[in-house]
Amino acid sequence: MKTETTLTAAAAVLTGAASAAAADAAAVNDLIAKIKSADDAVRGPAWQGAGPVGAPAVAPLAEVMSDPHFEIARSAKRAIEKIARHAGRPGANPERKAVEAELIKLLSHSNANVRRHAVWMLSEVGDAAAVGPMAALLADAEVREDARCALTRVPGSQATDALRGAMDGAPEEFKYALAESLRARGETVAGYPSKKLVPVKQTSVKAEA
Amino acid sequence: MNRIHRRSFLQRTGAAAIGATALGLPQILPARVLGASYTQPSAKDRLNIAHIGVGGMGGGHLGYMLARQSRGDVNVVAVCDVDENRLASAVKSTGGKATPYRDYRYVLERKDVDAVVIATPDHWHACQTVHACQTGKHVYVEKPACCTIEEGKAMVRAARGNRICVQVGSQGRSQREAFLAHQYIANGMIGKVHTVKCWHYATPSDDNPVPDSEPPAELDWDLWLGPLPWRPYNRRYLHGVFRWLLESGGGQIRDRGAHVMSNALHFMDADRTGPVSVETKGRIPTRGLWDSAIDMEVTYQFKDPDWTLVWAQPGEMVPYFDRDRVKREGIREGYGAVYYGDKDKLVVWVGDGQVYTEKKAVEFQKPAGGVDVPKSPRFDHHEDWFEGIKTGRKTIMNIEGGVATAFLCVLGNLSLIVGRKLAWDPMRQEIVGDEAARRLMSRPQRFPYAL
Repeated sequence: MKTETTLTAAAAVLTGAASAAAADAAAVNDLIAKIKSADDAVRGPAWQGAGPVGAPAVAPLAEVMSDPHFEIARSAKRAIEKIARHAGRPGANPERKAVEAELIKLLSHSNANVRRHAVWMLSEVGDAAAVGPMAALLADAEVREDARCALTRVPGSQATDALRGAMDGAPEEFKYALAESLRARGETVAGYPSKKLVPVKQTSVKAEA
Repeated sequence: MNRIHRRSFLQRTGAAAIGATALGLPQILPARVLGASYTQPSAKDRLNIAHIGVGGMGGGHLGYMLARQSRGDVNVVAVCDVDENRLASAVKSTGGKATPYRDYRYVLERKDVDAVVIATPDHWHACQTVHACQTGKHVYVEKPACCTIEEGKAMVRAARGNRICVQVGSQGRSQREAFLAHQYIANGMIGKVHTVKCWHYATPSDDNPVPDSEPPAELDWDLWLGPLPWRPYNRRYLHGVFRWLLESGGGQIRDRGAHVMSNALHFMDADRTGPVSVETKGRIPTRGLWDSAIDMEVTYQFKDPDWTLVWAQPGEMVPYFDRDRVKREGIREGYGAVYYGDKDKLVVWVGDGQVYTEKKAVEFQKPAGGVDVPKSPRFDHHEDWFEGIKTGRKTIMNIEGGVATAFLCVLGNLSLIVGRKLAWDPMRQEIVGDEAARRLMSRPQRFPYAL
């Protein structure tokens, strides 16, 4: 009798999980269809209300970021922001972790704009689990500056260690940027002084006198 | 040492003055006097001024300083802009005498520059102010002071640490009727103020979005972006319209909130405090590049003393009582605030270069022994800055007040961005109990445009 009850309960859980997955899929499909609408009266409310759709929508939305219609691509990007910020609310750690996991996957996306957006979103909701994958982008010439900024925002020693660790193999010019991040986090760095006060851009306008 | 002729003071005291300043006495000298390369003050005791950002409000500041120059008060020695057309126009307005620069850091390298007027897009204010302070230049910076909490804290540290006189361009505090309204409230005429409700018309939306494109030849796009993350140029970013983007402007709550709420903090003597909670509801555009809320309502709750500040777009506009004056002076009634006390209320219209209040406050005579409130010389915001430089007294919109005001604007937008009420520790100046929102207190700057 006890075994039968346990099996019934397990089946109910599985059925419930299947129903939830189906609901998730339906919500994601509905969101993506609306985000792809050329009508901003449809698309706008969709991205603005995307937050609760959550992690399952992150990867499909990332694909829409490559849409040739710039307003549709922008809406997808903003929908991801809504999802990340909704998941980052206090008391929603499982949702945040799920979104974090999806954003980490995007760090290896073929579209640099997607990688760039993902790393910035992880600067808001990523924890120690995200630091390694984010730091890998410090070797990505297209996105490394965004990755440096994003890591600078993530608290904790892992992010500091990642920034310091990147100093070894980084191109010489990028080492100055990494040093800036480390100093901003209170670290001491030998060499590579700040360039923030070094002027470099000349004007072609002349004084007349 | 309220009034002193600087040149004669220099001749009499020389290096002793440097020691006095280092000991914490009022800063009465141009910043360059403190530098090792100092030899002689510039002609006729004038401050040497450089303008960073010469379009829009920057053009207005330049015109003001050129008028002062014609009266022998200042020398306009340099102009700087990332738009070559604007720069060329600015040079021409100086009669070709000011040296042009694209990169403001050349300006900061000049030992003969005493002070800078910064009127660049908002996302540049903090970096340029911090750098100017670190190179010993006094600063007039346009409002709002900063785009993030971290930026604001860095500005305060830099100004204090380098003993720099900063005036933030919320010039409403310097206006005559702002002084009269402040005096009326501070002397208890409406009782204990429990609520301040602002009104303001909507923020524009980008109803005709355009795709990214190549920047125009006259614009240094990289330098315009500066500390912001790099992205392709889009003509909806500039000029002027940067203020409708959250990251570089922040909508009317920052553009005009930095005036109307500046006055609220001033009148409530709340520059050194802050709210304990911030909650925003708003309507965000459904299309286009501009992402600032079209309409919004932000409720700030202050404690000890307890009062509530509401920023509302559109809110409840109060028409100005003298319709002839509205026409005659072009009073912009589209924004203002009502101060509710436990005895009465007071309306203050507009809040920037124009400030108007009710007759009862204008006609009020402060009784003997009544409360004195700050008053800018000649009700002139720039003059207040000059006096601050020369006497060492706090300007009416000093860096602490400017940052406190900007924090209200920033927090109002942050609550909207994350979609929830925020708890704020006004003493530590930190968001509490919300790690994700807390991280948005900073936005790391793109290299090399660091704080």
